[in-house]
Amino acid sequence: MATVVDSSNPKSNYPIQYRELNYLNCSSGWKSWLFTLDHKRIGIMYLIGVTASFFLGGLFAVLLRTELLSPAKILMGPDSYNQMFTLHGAIMTFLVIIPGVPAAIGNIILPVMLGAKDVAFPRLNLGSFFLWMFGASFFLLALVTGGLDTGWTFYTPYSVTTNTAVITALLGVFVLGFSSIFTGLNFIVTIHTMRPPGMTWFKMPLFLWALYATALIQILATPVLGITGLLLVVERAFHIGIFDPALGGDPVLFQHFFWFYSHPAVYVMILPAMGVVSEVIAVHSRKHIFGYRFIAYSSIAIAIFGFLVWGHHMFVSGQSKVVAVIFSAITFSVSIPSAIKVFNWLTTMYKGSIRFTTAMCYALSFMFIFAIGGLTGLFLATLATDVHLHDTYFVVAHFHYVMMGSSLMGLFAAIHHWWPKISGKMINEFWGRIGCLGVFLGFNLTFFPQFILGTRGMPRRYYTYLPEFQGLHILSTMGAYLLGLSSALMAIVLIYSVYRGKKAPANPWGGASLEWQCSSPPPHNNFDHPPLAGDPYVMESVVYNEEIGGFVPAECQGDNNGSGTAAGEKEV
Amino acid sequence: MNTAATTPTDEHADNHDHEHHDPRLAHHFDSHQQQFDTGKLGIWLFLVTEVLFFSGLFGFYAVYRSLHPEVFLYASQFLDTVLGATNTIVLLFSSLTMAWGVRCAQLGQTRGLLTCLVITLACAAIFLGVKSFEYTEKAHHGLLWAGMYQSPEHHEAAAVPVAAGAVESGDHGASHADDHGAAHADDHSDDALFEKTKHTLSYMTTALWAVILLTGIGLAALFKNPNKKTMAAVLGCVLISAIGLQMGAYASIAYHHFGHAAEPTAQEIEMAKTAPEEYAKQKEKIPEPKLAGTFFSVYFCMTGLHAIHIIGGMVAISWLIVRTVHGAFTTYYFGAVDFIGLYWHLVDLIWIYLFPLLYLIN
Repeated sequence: MATVVDSSNPKSNYPIQYRELNYLNCSSGWKSWLFTLDHKRIGIMYLIGVTASFFLGGLFAVLLRTELLSPAKILMGPDSYNQMFTLHGAIMTFLVIIPGVPAAIGNIILPVMLGAKDVAFPRLNLGSFFLWMFGASFFLLALVTGGLDTGWTFYTPYSVTTNTAVITALLGVFVLGFSSIFTGLNFIVTIHTMRPPGMTWFKMPLFLWALYATALIQILATPVLGITGLLLVVERAFHIGIFDPALGGDPVLFQHFFWFYSHPAVYVMILPAMGVVSEVIAVHSRKHIFGYRFIAYSSIAIAIFGFLVWGHHMFVSGQSKVVAVIFSAITFSVSIPSAIKVFNWLTTMYKGSIRFTTAMCYALSFMFIFAIGGLTGLFLATLATDVHLHDTYFVVAHFHYVMMGSSLMGLFAAIHHWWPKISGKMINEFWGRIGCLGVFLGFNLTFFPQFILGTRGMPRRYYTYLPEFQGLHILSTMGAYLLGLSSALMAIVLIYSVYRGKKAPANPWGGASLEWQCSSPPPHNNFDHPPLAGDPYVMESVVYNEEIGGFVPAECQGDNNGSGTAAGEKEV
Repeated sequence: MNTAATTPTDEHADNHDHEHHDPRLAHHFDSHQQQFDTGKLGIWLFLVTEVLFFSGLFGFYAVYRSLHPEVFLYASQFLDTVLGATNTIVLLFSSLTMAWGVRCAQLGQTRGLLTCLVITLACAAIFLGVKSFEYTEKAHHGLLWAGMYQSPEHHEAAAVPVAAGAVESGDHGASHADDHGAAHADDHSDDALFEKTKHTLSYMTTALWAVILLTGIGLAALFKNPNKKTMAAVLGCVLISAIGLQMGAYASIAYHHFGHAAEPTAQEIEMAKTAPEEYAKQKEKIPEPKLAGTFFSVYFCMTGLHAIHIIGGMVAISWLIVRTVHGAFTTYYFGAVDFIGLYWHLVDLIWIYLFPLLYLIN
């Protein structure tokens, strides 16, 4: 703790005593990271873990797509194919998109945005991260001990009878669930009790509203997944006859339990991304967000609706017609708050001074992709068309547009938007934008053909297909390659900036929320004294300063030293 | 909460902190009040997740009871209402002492707090002791979850003479305990059961020692200077738990051995004379339905998960005892006692639901 080593920039020529201290270099050694209670370091560790999982899951995806280049066997047989898509799904869902924005970005940004020194329970926060690693290691264990071939949904009765490592994977899900619960709990308590003076509920940045809504779902839905997973473990280990029809159990009951969590979990994935987009669009359009209250309430509305629609996964699983109609109707109504958000973002951009920074490009991609993903959801919510489209590539394309396209675009936008704050460095915007273009084109090329495949009857989870589908499959695979390469480019651009990037000013984009008042990267304690919070979207409160290369509070313009309220900001 | 300032679990001075001098206030809080409110909201949210966690099991119960009511009607008779009721009283009493302990902590009465916590811990152990006997007895009669379930019919066919009809019952007479299968009819069976219970107990005690000792050592390592006081407190907790377990289990064995061989009550004899048909009807055995094991699946899942929560509570209470011995709690810093108290009430509350849902069907 005492020794000062500038780990953020080893090439720095400044003598040690003149370097500024921030959370990255205030202490060193692996213990200072692994046992840190600092929310920012924990967030960084999540980010690294999520990125590693993303590339592992992505590798599986590329292998799967390669196999599908032809209906014949190229790389793997049908059994390996089953295991691979299962692990792709499980890793991407439980290890990447669920913790992606809330646990990684949320951990770093939420307390700084609140002007707080840390989250409410720093120890519990570190505990969540350990649980995450523990759960992730269960997944790796499942990978090496016989794989998993049930699909990420673990549907019974197959999951009770298959020989693969179902118990290991379920224990992983159970542990990861608790990691997610504790993160959510921490966020809710932090937002409730640690807001700075002046920040009323309706002066919170919308990202915090989104994280709050997400945390509500995490707390209310995840325990049900926990107990469901546990019951399935017990079913497999002791045969208690709850899901196993051979012992009088009800396999559809599992689907109800599972989707009671997993549908709300879909909103755990998308809501924080929507929060990110609300921030990015407003800041990079240099304009006050349009319809603040509507966006805030729509987050909560989506969280609430999320609990009432799980039955739409089960239209063909044998639930009563009345129930199906009700679920269908409620599902349609989810599109209302979602559309409110999209219209408000569009209106925010109207007559704004839009800058096409990398973060903004990702946010715009989000809107485009989310619109397609959301609207195709309506086809699936319609009972009659769902019978036709159920279990086809249409579903695959739909949920990739929403879960992969939208959630990950949100994550990428968040990373690029807050990267100066996180790392203290600016990325190369040109290559950043090229990466974004590649991700956007690659994504659409991968998944748009799958809508067509699905409507023509290509079933999901199949290792082979009829010859007439081959053209579209090849197109899709090419898109996957492009997507993989572009994501790698994005990662390279980001990592390069850490070593060679230009030093970031406190407020490079001109945001008015509190995290931009803190230096980049923030000092260990964020703020020495709780800052006074005003409206987070009054962009006129900051003006550009040539000398610093970033924005400074309007009242400080003219002072030779930049950001007046920043804690510990010293230009070197 | 009438006392103003207090605080939660973060008592260890944070190693990043240089500014404040009160080791009981974590560095990122402005005041004790804020720290206490934060912990309070946190524990309530945690309890919400606990309720939802159990709700899956209550859903399991609701679905299967509505699908197969006859299974629940039939199988519930094998649960011993007296033991269940005793456990309910024990837990209710422990909730009382816990609440009392919180009050003592608020008033700064360390000795009172210690006494209350010790009694709570002992009650928890007694509960587990009774439960371990019940589990052993179920296992002894093959009344296990669906995959392992053995019909009690074959026991009876072998062991029960015709006359046994009089004591075989689903009867709820005040002095007449619910009976089960062939247990009383066969003394050897009873002895074997006794032996088995002792085995279970020894396993449980060993496990409990291990858990509490390990936790104690782990926690002691967290203290700045682990000392004799800490170790003594940990050992004391283990001892209390072990004694409580034994008491619970031996009391149940004694009850099982002497209590259930009761003669038909005067009321029953009266009834048999005056209304023989009704009496016969009442005594008539419910035929065993298919899937009777499902009830025991529900039973073991629900009470098992609850028992795990009891053990968790025991570890937490032991931790409180160690900290109380060290004088950690003051009138403005008693959050941890309050929060673990809330958790304990929830565990108690869940049992209050489990008892009628499982034991009092009919």
